[in-house]
Amino acid sequence: MRPQFSIIFFTTLAGMAQGLLFFLAALDFRTQVIPTAFLTSLAFPISLLLLMLGLIASFFHLGHPERAWRAAIMWRTSWLSREVIALPALMVVTSLGYFYAYTSQVPRWLWIALLITTVTLWICTAKIYQCIRFIQEWSHSSTTTNFILLGLSSGWLLLELLLSLWNPSFEIENNLFFSGIAVLLLFLSFNLKLWIWRRNKSLKPKSNLASATGIRGSNIRQTSMGFMGGSFNTREFFHHQTDRVIHNLRKIILLCAYILPLILMANALNTPSVAIFAIALAIHYVGQLAERWMFFAEANHPQNLYYQRIS
Amino acid sequence: MSTNKQLALVIDLNVCVGCHACVTSCKEWNTSGSAGPLTDLNAYGANPSGTFFNRVQTFEAGSFPNTQTVHFPKSCLHCEEPPCVPVCPTGASYKRKEDGIVLVDYDKCIGCSYCSWACPYGARELDQERQVMTKCTLCVDRIYSETLPEAERKPACVLACPTSARIFGDVHDPESAASKAIEERSGYALMPEWETQPANHYLPRSIMETIEAARNDK
Repeated sequence: MRPQFSIIFFTTLAGMAQGLLFFLAALDFRTQVIPTAFLTSLAFPISLLLLMLGLIASFFHLGHPERAWRAAIMWRTSWLSREVIALPALMVVTSLGYFYAYTSQVPRWLWIALLITTVTLWICTAKIYQCIRFIQEWSHSSTTTNFILLGLSSGWLLLELLLSLWNPSFEIENNLFFSGIAVLLLFLSFNLKLWIWRRNKSLKPKSNLASATGIRGSNIRQTSMGFMGGSFNTREFFHHQTDRVIHNLRKIILLCAYILPLILMANALNTPSVAIFAIALAIHYVGQLAERWMFFAEANHPQNLYYQRIS
Repeated sequence: MSTNKQLALVIDLNVCVGCHACVTSCKEWNTSGSAGPLTDLNAYGANPSGTFFNRVQTFEAGSFPNTQTVHFPKSCLHCEEPPCVPVCPTGASYKRKEDGIVLVDYDKCIGCSYCSWACPYGARELDQERQVMTKCTLCVDRIYSETLPEAERKPACVLACPTSARIFGDVHDPESAASKAIEERSGYALMPEWETQPANHYLPRSIMETIEAARNDK
């Protein structure tokens, strides 16, 4: 598939906000661990900002953004429609949290609502891709797991960075916990990615030219796709990059999204610093952009069987 | 099979000569209608690009001396279980109950392209200028038109085909020419592995059956 930058930015920015909000809720819903002033001055405003940026990015995906409101209608059948509801719902719950933190204290029900809405949005987003059964790279539960794990990783790195910016001594007291979890999340998502790539490599396409055309006989090949110019079909379903670019980008993903942040955060277990957290998050986010780009590029659409030869 | 009407095309690969008359007549009719043009960008430049509902592709199969060239028209197959319809977030993409035609309501489409990802056949094209998803309508604005003579109330591609390779009819009516062609000449559907149950069918080339039979006799 052709990587869509609107969706790449939306899923990574919103994913990071979801991770941050999920962990705020997970840490705070029993007894308050995170200071209220941190919630009001940094955590909630930044979450809302990231969600807003993600929402704006998603509009660039549409041919008719002015009709976007219509997309909430078909929630009974469409995961995209469900996502269109889940994102504003999360923004409303987050705003409520901000309001409560500002005026008094965030109630437990709201933390639970945040846990539910963040996970719901992840599921809706990932299922948009996972439910397309003939894109075999996507049609597997690892798609959802990967979206969630990478959102959690970036959200946790952001939480740690913000905490260390807000109150260095608070972070240092709890550094083993924070950096330890960061290492764990990065390690898990790294292994999942390796597993997904192994799975993609071993996939056997269910469709081929014989099933696509029904032509009897061996050695079927296309001699003409029927036109010499471009069309939606020749643009939308392929990444249009050379194998070399794809190969190098895979290395960049492994390094930036996983290996370098892992090394940095393992290092931070002993010597935490704001700079390390900032660099780890920045590199990890760049890696995630590349990872999401590759998520699209790796997906093989069976329609490409019909568009192989120009003449 | 339900008793509702299901209009469809049955395409005879024995007689399609790959002349592209169905492609041009489709474009001519559908770019001229009230639904808006099928845009061509840079039509006379180095890299033209355009929206088409129908394409004729060419495939080869076999090895010498038993080779064949097959001209293969492809448009929306109007699936009985269309995967493009449930994914549409706005309901712009729908399948008509009364005749089974899969259509796009251009006024509701937000141009998200999701339905095109959900079609394994590549039957849908986002119009670059109108920024809405477009596809074969089975000439829904011809086949019910009361201003056209009755003989012309057929899809433009069917009327244009010089070899009558395109049979139009109700594939749920066992008496229709389309159903009979499928029944008698083992019409098949594309990519049956995804269980989309395309309404359009293709008639296999009988010459290959003759060759295969001759080979088996040896």
